[in-house]
Amino acid sequence: MIELININKTYNGKVKAADNLTLTVPSGQIFGFLGPNGAGKTTAIKIITGILKADSGSVKVNGIDIGQKPLEVKKQIGFVPDTPNMFLRLKGIEYLGFMADMYEVAADQRKPRIEDLASRFGMADVLDDKILSYSHGMRQKIVLMGALIHEPSVWILDEPMTGLDPRSSFILKEMMREQVNEGKTVFFSTHVLDVAEKICDRVAIIDKGSILFTGTLAEMKEHFKKNESLENMFLELTESE
Amino acid sequence: MNRKILSLVRVMLRNSTGLGIKDGKRSTQIFLIVMLALTVPFMLIGIVALFSSLIGAFMQIGQAGLVLKLGIGINSAIIFIFGIFYVMSSFYFSSDVEYLLPLPLKPWEIVSAKLIVVIIYEFIVTGVLYLPLLFTYGIRLGMGPLYYVYGLIVFVLLPIVPLALASFLVMLIMRFTNLKRHKDFLKVLAGMLGLFVGLGINMLLQNVSTDLSPEALLEMLESGSNSLVNVIPDIFPAAGWASQALVYSSSLKGLLNLILFVGVTLGAYGLITAFGQVIYLKGAVGLSEAGSSRRNKAIGQVVEKSRSRSALLSYCLVEIRLLVRTPIYFLNCVVMNFLWPLFLLIPLLTSGDQAMAFDEITRVISNPENAGIVLAAAFAMAVFMGASNGISSSAMSREGENIYVKKYLPVSYIVQLNAKLLSAMLIGFAAILVLVLLCIILFKMPLFLGLLMLITSPLALLFVSLTGLMIDLVNPNFTWDNEQKAVKQNINVFFNVIIGMIMAPLVIVPTIIIKWTLASTLAILCIGFLVLDILMYSILATRGVKIFSSI
Repeated sequence: MIELININKTYNGKVKAADNLTLTVPSGQIFGFLGPNGAGKTTAIKIITGILKADSGSVKVNGIDIGQKPLEVKKQIGFVPDTPNMFLRLKGIEYLGFMADMYEVAADQRKPRIEDLASRFGMADVLDDKILSYSHGMRQKIVLMGALIHEPSVWILDEPMTGLDPRSSFILKEMMREQVNEGKTVFFSTHVLDVAEKICDRVAIIDKGSILFTGTLAEMKEHFKKNESLENMFLELTESE
Repeated sequence: MNRKILSLVRVMLRNSTGLGIKDGKRSTQIFLIVMLALTVPFMLIGIVALFSSLIGAFMQIGQAGLVLKLGIGINSAIIFIFGIFYVMSSFYFSSDVEYLLPLPLKPWEIVSAKLIVVIIYEFIVTGVLYLPLLFTYGIRLGMGPLYYVYGLIVFVLLPIVPLALASFLVMLIMRFTNLKRHKDFLKVLAGMLGLFVGLGINMLLQNVSTDLSPEALLEMLESGSNSLVNVIPDIFPAAGWASQALVYSSSLKGLLNLILFVGVTLGAYGLITAFGQVIYLKGAVGLSEAGSSRRNKAIGQVVEKSRSRSALLSYCLVEIRLLVRTPIYFLNCVVMNFLWPLFLLIPLLTSGDQAMAFDEITRVISNPENAGIVLAAAFAMAVFMGASNGISSSAMSREGENIYVKKYLPVSYIVQLNAKLLSAMLIGFAAILVLVLLCIILFKMPLFLGLLMLITSPLALLFVSLTGLMIDLVNPNFTWDNEQKAVKQNINVFFNVIIGMIMAPLVIVPTIIIKWTLASTLAILCIGFLVLDILMYSILATRGVKIFSSI
C-alpha cells in the first residue's frame, strides 16, 4: 500500500508539480496513474521512490514513513524509471548482480530468480552482452528485471509499456496480475487512457499537481459524462496517442 | 558565413554546460568564483614568471624570439593532442550526431560547425599559455601596437591548423578502419596514440638542444638578433610563421609571415571542410550500433559467474568497471594515473648520460640517511597522483543524468560515498604499487622502505580522494552529452589537482629542510594525515551526505 498525504512540491519557486496531493494506492489492485504530459506524474513517483524530497506532506509505503526510514521503504519498492539508458557499459548479468547486491537478495535465491526472469522476457541469450548493445526494448526489459529481482512487495513503474513489444507487454501485464493476486501493490503511470483501460482495476487522474479523480474504470466513465473539466481531460488523454 | 553553421554552433555551445558555473545554487556559484579567483591568478603569475625569466635569459644573448617560437610551437602541439580527443568525441561520439545526421545539412556544414566549437574550446588552452606569453614578450621587449594586432590575429587562428590536422587524422581513421563497431576500443587506441605523440614531443623537445653541434650553436648565439628563430625547426607547421610574424612585427618580414600564416590557416580550414564533405558521413553513419557477441552461452553458465557481494564491494566494483570500460574515463583517470611514474622516467631516459643518472639516483635512494626524504617524496607523489587522476573529483559528475538511480537504491548515502572513495583509492594504490616496484627494481630501493610506502600511501590517497569527492559533491555537473565533459571539462578535477599541487610540496619541503629521520617522518606523516583524514571524513559523513540526499 502507498499513501501520499498532502504532498507539496514546487520547482524553482514557480512550477507547482504537486499541489496538496493526497492519494492512497491499495494493495491487491493494479492502480493506474493517469494524466497528460507534465501533469506531475513523474514528480509524484520520484517523491514516493525517494528520488525527490517533498516540500511538505508525508509518504508511507506499507505503513512505513519514507522521511523516517528511507532505506526500509526503498527496499519494499521495485522501481522502473521511464528511461532505461543506465549502466550501459555493464553486461546484463553484471547489472542484475549489482541490483541483487543492492537489494540484498540472498545468494541462493539470485540464480533461480535471474533464470526465471530471463526466460520470461526472452533475455537469456543476451545476458552476457553489454547493455550498450541492447535495443531500447531490451534495455527496458533488463531494467524491469533488475527492479523485480528482489521480489518487491510494491511495484512502481513509470510509463512501462512504451517501447515494449506486444509479447513483452503481455508478459508484464500477466506478471502485474500475478503480483496483485498475491496481495501486493502495483502502481504505474501512463498518459494513454487505452493502456489504463486494458489493465487497471483502479485509476487516479492527475492534472497540474493535484488529483482530479480516484475510482474504478466504470466509475471514471460515469464521472466523465457529468463533469465537464474531466471530460476535457478525457479528450486529452484519448487524443494523446 | 553560412547561417546554418552559425546556428548550429550556437546550439552546440549552449548545449554544453561549459565549466558548470552557470547553473547551480548561489552559494555554490560564489564558492566556485572564489576558488577560481584564488587559483587562476596564481597559475597565471606562475606562467608569466616562467616566461618572463626565460625571455630575460634569452634577451641577454639577443634570442628572446626563441621563447616565443617554442611557446607557440608547444601550444600548437598541445592543441593537436587535445584535438585528437576533442575531435573524435565531438565529430563521432557525441550524442548529438544522431540528431544531426537526419537534418538536411551538408556534411561540410556539420564538420564546420563542430570544428568551430572545438576551436572555441581550445581558446582556453591558448588563453592560458599563449596570451601570457604574448603579453610578457611584448612588454619585456617593448613591442609596438602592430605586434599586439598581429598577436590577436594569431590568437584567433592558431588552433585551426593543429585541429585541421587532428580532424584529418581522425576522419581518415574513422572512414577506413572497420573498427567503428568497436568504438570503445577505438577511442582508447586514439587516446593512447595521442598520449604517445605527446610523450614523443616531450622527448623531442628535451633533445632539441643536443641536436646542434656546440660550435654551430655558439656561432649562432654570438650573431644575436633572434637568429636562432630561423634555425630551430618548426615544432608544428604554420606555428613558425606565426612566431616570426610576431618577432618581426615591426618590419615587412613580419607582415609577409603573417600573410603566409593566415593564408595557410584559411587554406587548412577550407581543405578540412572539403575533406569532411567527402568523407565525414561515411564514418559517422551507423556509429550508434554497438558490437555484441551474441554467443550462445547457456544461461546457467552466465548466471553462475554472478556472485553475491556486500553492497559496498558491489558498488565499488561497478565504479571500477565503468571507469575501465568507458574510454574517456579510462584514458583520463586510469591511464593518466599510471603515466606519472613514466613521466618521471622520461628525463632520465633522454638525458645525455643515462648510466650516470641512474647511478646517482640509486645512490640517493639507497642511502639510509635519505630514507626519511625518500618516504616523504613517495607520500607526496601519492598525494599528487591521487589528486590528479580525477577519479574522486568526478565521481558524482560521472553519474550524469542517471544520478537519480543512486537515489532510489536502498543503500545509504554514506555507503555509496565510501564505495566511490574506495574505487578511487584502489586505482590510486595500484599506481603507487607500480612506482614502488619501479624504484625497487631500477634503483635498488630497500624493500622495507617500499613496504613503508605502501602502508602509508593510503593515508595520502584517502585525503585527496576525500577533498575531490567533497568538491564534486558541492558542485556536480550532471548535464552532459558526452563523457568528456564529466572528467575533462570538469572544473572540480582541476580544483583537486590544485589541492594536490599545494599539499605535495607541503609534505616534502619540510622533510628536506629539517632533515627528519625515517622514524620521525613516518610518525609526523601518519599522525598528521590521520588527523586530516578523520577531519575530512567527518565533513563528508555529515555535510557530504546531506548534500547527496538533497541532490
